[in-house]
Amino acid sequence: MKLLQQIVAFLEDRLALPTIWARFTDRQIPKGVGWLQTFGSATLFLLIVQVVTGIFLAFYYVPSPEHAYESVRLITDDLNFGWLIRGIHRWSASLVVVFAVLHLLRTFFMGAYKYPRELTWVVGVLLLLVIFAFAFTGYLLPWDQRAYWATTVGTHIAGFAPGIGDFLIEILRGQPDIGARTLGRFYAFHTLFLPLILFLLLGIHLFIVIKQGIAPLPDRKLVPATREEYRQYYRQAKQEGKPFYESMAKDALVALFLLIVLIALSVVLGAPLEEEADPTSTTYVPKPEWYFLFLYELLWWFPGKWIPVATFWIPLALIFVLIGLPWLDSSVHRHPLRRPVVTVAAVTLVGFLGLLTYKGTVAPLPPTAVAAQRAQAEKIALSPLALQGLEVYGRGGCSACHAINGVGGVAGPDLGKIGRKRSADWLRRFIQDPVSVNPQSSMPAYKELSQEELEALVSYLGLLK
Amino acid sequence: MGSPGVQQSAGTSRRKFFRWCVNGVAAAIGTALAIPLGGFYILPALRKPKVIWKEVGPVSEFTEGEMRLVPLKPLERREWPESWGKEAAWVLNQGKGKFAVFNIHCTHVGCPVSWSSQANRFFSPCHGGVFDPDGRVLSGPPPRPLDRYEVKIENEFVYAGPVYRVNDRLERVSA
Repeated sequence: MKLLQQIVAFLEDRLALPTIWARFTDRQIPKGVGWLQTFGSATLFLLIVQVVTGIFLAFYYVPSPEHAYESVRLITDDLNFGWLIRGIHRWSASLVVVFAVLHLLRTFFMGAYKYPRELTWVVGVLLLLVIFAFAFTGYLLPWDQRAYWATTVGTHIAGFAPGIGDFLIEILRGQPDIGARTLGRFYAFHTLFLPLILFLLLGIHLFIVIKQGIAPLPDRKLVPATREEYRQYYRQAKQEGKPFYESMAKDALVALFLLIVLIALSVVLGAPLEEEADPTSTTYVPKPEWYFLFLYELLWWFPGKWIPVATFWIPLALIFVLIGLPWLDSSVHRHPLRRPVVTVAAVTLVGFLGLLTYKGTVAPLPPTAVAAQRAQAEKIALSPLALQGLEVYGRGGCSACHAINGVGGVAGPDLGKIGRKRSADWLRRFIQDPVSVNPQSSMPAYKELSQEELEALVSYLGLLK
Repeated sequence: MGSPGVQQSAGTSRRKFFRWCVNGVAAAIGTALAIPLGGFYILPALRKPKVIWKEVGPVSEFTEGEMRLVPLKPLERREWPESWGKEAAWVLNQGKGKFAVFNIHCTHVGCPVSWSSQANRFFSPCHGGVFDPDGRVLSGPPPRPLDRYEVKIENEFVYAGPVYRVNDRLERVSA
């Protein structure tokens, strides 16, 4: 005990550490700071988790096309706790986007980006962009099909930047296609360059949070009109508040809860690893991770010469609006209901982005994706008859109207569970003459199928449960 | 004793001088590092890769009018780091000794197109792009026809070279 006291005294004398720490934990924070204010610390916690698990993954990961996939497989399947470390890293990558966005929304609705916290907001937006850059570069590293094709699409999209597209693609990839140089670049960005930028921006962000204090809840009636009035208002709010260590307990609980969620996700869902990257595959259906889906969905809306609107101008405008928000909305009102135009615009935008993301998540893949589905299905042990049925399904163009497990057209009903709903006999009769079974049916009759083909098809459909 | 104003301005100019020195040295260090570092990052990426022709296969193997996915075999071994990765292309024998060799990437966002012989079309799985057997856009968002490989036929054997873009009239527009 005496030794401990001596150590504390030493640190106090040489570094003033105990004093600094006490100042940090004992400072007053304004009244009304509650669970919603833990989003920021949750994001910080997840980022720390990413850095720590990332460092450990780097002990075994090899950033070369010849070894990357095998090294990730080794980590996942063989090394002790490898599945857990990679699982946490993978799921934390998703959660960090969730919490960064929640944190941003909380800050927005409470008007906390206004004086004197404009710079905190700007740096926060830059941090969000850094998180997206982490996500984009990290996605390639496992070097599986998903990684390869997502990066093919992601870098291809950069090629639509007006005037500098081709240059940008080559700079990003380091070569005309995706290969060793691309992996090297992405690895260096992901593990060296971006963390440096992250620490720098985080340092500034947290410094301002402490310097300017945590924003108080906006008051609907009490609206400080000048900066001096605001400072007074804030001093008052702090006096009525509580010391920081009380809300730190909330932050700690949230962090613990998140770690449990991360471990649970790693145990239950794990970190997926598809087949090794194959540039010659023509059956793979690339799909971006959920946080980039809104951009991917937007591409449906802007065909041909309009593509740069979706790939360049809209993202650029979004970034500028986000960064410029404190100056675009410079009114003295902080309560969301006192600045209705900004609030409605933001709710509309968030709703629209959410809708695009939702559409992208649930959208059945186009009928043409059925080839990929077939390749997938062939890996499941289908009986020879059912496999033949799958062939008939493809030849007959069934997928132009019907989806199975979300793959295929939307004109007809989804056949994903048809085997559970209908008997073989019903299917047989319906396929040959739909109207005789259901007069409302608009499906064309498949009378020309041979008996053998029909049996095969029914056998396949019967397995869809 | 000079006036405080004079002293101050002397101090200011001295201060200015040293500030200029520090800033100047910092700028020199920055430039001296930025030029080689920037060049190191950017210039290798802009190098045109050495043209290596690839074997497609003997002419006799391709039935006229049949589209086939063919792995391309480089005539010389590519050196590291370009050595990784296989390459495949859609090949069509157009008849009369003419061949079209298509890049498998959709011109929209780069997804791999697949050929459906029943439909006689290329389909992209991502945003519904559809191309005809000449690679022209039939529907969907792709901005231009499928990119093609340069083709040469020597001794009844088909070879594919560099990839180039074509416009809507299938005229070559760039390397």
